[in-house]
Amino acid sequence: MLLHLLNRSPQSPSVYRDLGEAFGAGDHLLLIEDACYAALPPSSAVLEPFAGRVSVLREDLISRGLAERVSPDIAVVDMNGFLALTETHERCVSWF
Amino acid sequence: MVTTTARTLMVEGRPIGLDPEGYLVSLDDWSERVAEALAADDDRELTPAHWEVIEVLRDFYRRYEAAPAMRPLVKAVKQSLGEEKGSSIYLMQLFPESPAKVGARLAGLPKPTNCL
Amino acid sequence: MTTHPSFDIEPQDLLVVLRHPPHGTQWLREGLDVALVAAAFGQRVGLLFQGDGIFALLKDQQAGALGQKGTHSQIAMLEMYDIEALWVSEAALAERGLAREDLMLPTTSLNAEAVAKLLRCHPHTLIF
Repeated sequence: MLLHLLNRSPQSPSVYRDLGEAFGAGDHLLLIEDACYAALPPSSAVLEPFAGRVSVLREDLISRGLAERVSPDIAVVDMNGFLALTETHERCVSWF
Repeated sequence: MVTTTARTLMVEGRPIGLDPEGYLVSLDDWSERVAEALAADDDRELTPAHWEVIEVLRDFYRRYEAAPAMRPLVKAVKQSLGEEKGSSIYLMQLFPESPAKVGARLAGLPKPTNCL
Repeated sequence: MTTHPSFDIEPQDLLVVLRHPPHGTQWLREGLDVALVAAAFGQRVGLLFQGDGIFALLKDQQAGALGQKGTHSQIAMLEMYDIEALWVSEAALAERGLAREDLMLPTTSLNAEAVAKLLRCHPHTLIF
């Protein structure tokens, strides 16, 4: 069970595609930094391969003015939630 | 990449620029006389056993555009000169301290980047 | 090219995933440097070529027009560092119209399920 961290906006679709290929059953995706933009409803098509297993970091949403604009099917976690995710997954893999 | 000349070595009346770590500033300056001068500068003397390893190093650089770290150097020597010489002990005896670094310097290669 | 079932995957100490093509950026070179340094220190290293990273393996590469070093010499050098576990994404190859004969080195191609297993079975993974 891997926790994948992604920090690129959906304007870099190749990283979403490569991650989709490497995403295993039971893995989880956490969107951080510019990947927060993928959590907006018009963008969330790029998240289809990860449906139900995506979270987005609250702190990075807030700094980008996105806190109220997140797609309802994406879980919002704060830093403690991030920490909890790292504890419940074997390892983290960073995509950028 | 610009390498600064820290000092020069006179070989057959020509100044050969060396970088702060003693490697050739311009790899084209290399010749057998330059290798001998570099060795003398280190108080080393080159024997046929050294020369054949220097040739392996130069061939490695021609093929891969990089100086080898210790493990690939051992492998390259093994491929060219046979099992017996392709060992770190043998190479350590020829080039005490660090065969990859000392060998690269004498062979006129840049400092190997993949070994610390 | 055959897709090997997952039981054929022999995990290495480190998996380096290469996603960027040669020449345009430093990503590929840096990923290969990390792999070579780890191998020089005796780590067993495997490489996964994914997305445009596939182009790193393409035959007939050269230095840039102004003499900029490419990465093909690093790729050729992998065997001297005993880096022989080379995996490629089957989808990435197909999307680019490439086949095994187009690549410089022998590789094992993996479907998406096997790519996910590859990441899972390696103790350390670095993405470039």
